[in-house]
Amino acid sequence: MSEIDVKDIQRLLGMLRAIDVGLIVLDEDFTIKVWNDFMTNHSGIRGEHVIGTNLFDRFNDLPESWLRNKTRSVFQLNNSAFTTWEQRPYLFKFKNYRPITGTADFMYQNITFLPLSSADGTVDHIGMIVYDVTDVAVGRLALEQANKELKELRKSAH
Amino acid sequence: MPTKILITDDSSFARKQLTRALPSEWDVDVLNAADGKEAIDVLLKDAPKVMFLDLNMPVMDGYETLEAIIKQDIEVIVIVVSGDIQPLAVERVTEMGALVFVKKPIKKEELSEVLRSHAIFDLNAKVVAAKSTKALTTLVSETVKTDTQEGYQEIANVAMGRAADLLAKLLDSFVVMPIPLVNVIEVSELRMAIQQVDDNDMVSGVCQGFIGAGIAGEALLIFNEASYEDIADLMKYVGDIDEAVQVELLMDIANILIGACLKGIAEQLDISFSQGHPLVIGRHVKVDELLGQNASRWKKTLTIEMGYKIEDKNISCDLLLLFTEDSIEPLDELVSYLID
Repeated sequence: MSEIDVKDIQRLLGMLRAIDVGLIVLDEDFTIKVWNDFMTNHSGIRGEHVIGTNLFDRFNDLPESWLRNKTRSVFQLNNSAFTTWEQRPYLFKFKNYRPITGTADFMYQNITFLPLSSADGTVDHIGMIVYDVTDVAVGRLALEQANKELKELRKSAH
Repeated sequence: MPTKILITDDSSFARKQLTRALPSEWDVDVLNAADGKEAIDVLLKDAPKVMFLDLNMPVMDGYETLEAIIKQDIEVIVIVVSGDIQPLAVERVTEMGALVFVKKPIKKEELSEVLRSHAIFDLNAKVVAAKSTKALTTLVSETVKTDTQEGYQEIANVAMGRAADLLAKLLDSFVVMPIPLVNVIEVSELRMAIQQVDDNDMVSGVCQGFIGAGIAGEALLIFNEASYEDIADLMKYVGDIDEAVQVELLMDIANILIGACLKGIAEQLDISFSQGHPLVIGRHVKVDELLGQNASRWKKTLTIEMGYKIEDKNISCDLLLLFTEDSIEPLDELVSYLID
C-alpha cells in the first residue's frame, strides 16, 4: 500500500465492525475505546453507550482482579496474553450463538490480549479479541464425558 | 601498536558478529576464546587490554570467569556482552568488576558509543590508524554451513535471554538459563532431545502454533508439575492451588515464555509471526505420554530447546521450538543475511 486510499480504510473499518469476533480496545484505566458489532449484538449494549465508560462500571459481573492480573503483564511487559475457555469458560456472559440447537447455555470464549503501543513505544492501550469457541468446548467436554463413561463400563465389565 | 582485545563467546557466530561491530577505525588485534577457561589462558599469556565476555558458556561461564579474574588479579577491562539481560545479571557482573554490560546482539553504533563513553576508544580523539583487517578476513572465510548452525544457536540465545528477562520481571526472581540446544532431529527422537525433564516427572504441556515469512512451527512448553507451589507463591496466588489455579499459572508462564521467545527470534530475523491460540495438550502426564499423544505428521524437525530454572526455587520448565522441515530453507536464508 504505497498510497493510502481513504475508501480502502473505510472498507477495512467496515469489516472490523462486522467481523464475527469481539473486538475491544481499552486504555490503562479500563475505559472502553472500541466496541465492535459483535460486542454490541451479543451484549445488547450499543457502542455509543459504552465507549468512554469504565469496563468494570459497565459490566459489574466481570472478574475484575483476574482481568487486572492478566492485563498487567500485557501493559508492563509489552507481551500478548492468551486465555482459554479451559481456564475460564467465558469472560462476558453471552448467550449461545445457536440458541435453539446448541446444547451449552452460554458462549465459551477464548480471549487474546494484545499490547497496543503509542507513537513513543509505550503500551498505553490493549486490544481484546473475544472468540466464540462454544463448538470446540462442547465437543471436547462431550468427548471427555464419553471417555469417562467408557472407562467405567470397562471397569464394571471386569 | 594495535590494542589487543579478547572476545570470549562459545558461539563463533557471536564472536564474528562482535568483531564486525567493532569500530573499523580502531586498530585492534582480535583474540578469541570459546569459554572462560580458554579466556583465562589467553589473558595470562597475551595480556589483552579489553575483554568482551559472554555469560552463558560451557566449561566455565562468564560469572566463573569474572571470579577467576578477581582471584588471579588479572588486569583487564571487561565488557560483558550477553543475551541474559535480567537486571540481576547486570547487577551481579557489575559487582564482580565488569565495567559495562551490553545487550546482545550489539550494533556497531551502540558499541562505538559504549567504547567512547567509557573512554576505551574514541573515534574523534584518535588519528585513524590503519585498519586491522587480518582477524576479520580469516574469520569470514569459515564455511557457511557451520555459520548457520551457530547462527541459530546465537539467535536462540538472545531470544531465550529476552524471555528470561520478562519471566524474571513477572516473578521478581533470577532465572537461570543454560545454553539453548539447537538440533535437527527426527520427530521420533523428540523425547531424547528433552534433557531438562526426568522420565518420572509429572508434567503439563501447552503448545502454540506460529507462522510467518514461510516459517512455521509450534512452541511447546513442558512444565514440571512440582513447580506449581513455588510459582503460585512467587505470583502471589493465595489459597489452594486447585486445578483451575494450575491452568492459570501454566498459561501465564506459557504466554510470557512463548511470546517473548518468538518475538525475540522474529525481531532478529526482521520478520513477524502470527500466533495461534495456545492449547493445553496434557496434564498430570509423563513426558513420554505428552509427546506420544501428539504424534506429528512431520518427519524431521529443527528444534530449539531452552530450559529455564528459577534460582533457589523448585521451578523448572522446558520450552521447545519445533520448526517444520520446510521451514529450514527460508530460515537458513534469513540467518545468512545476518552473517553478511
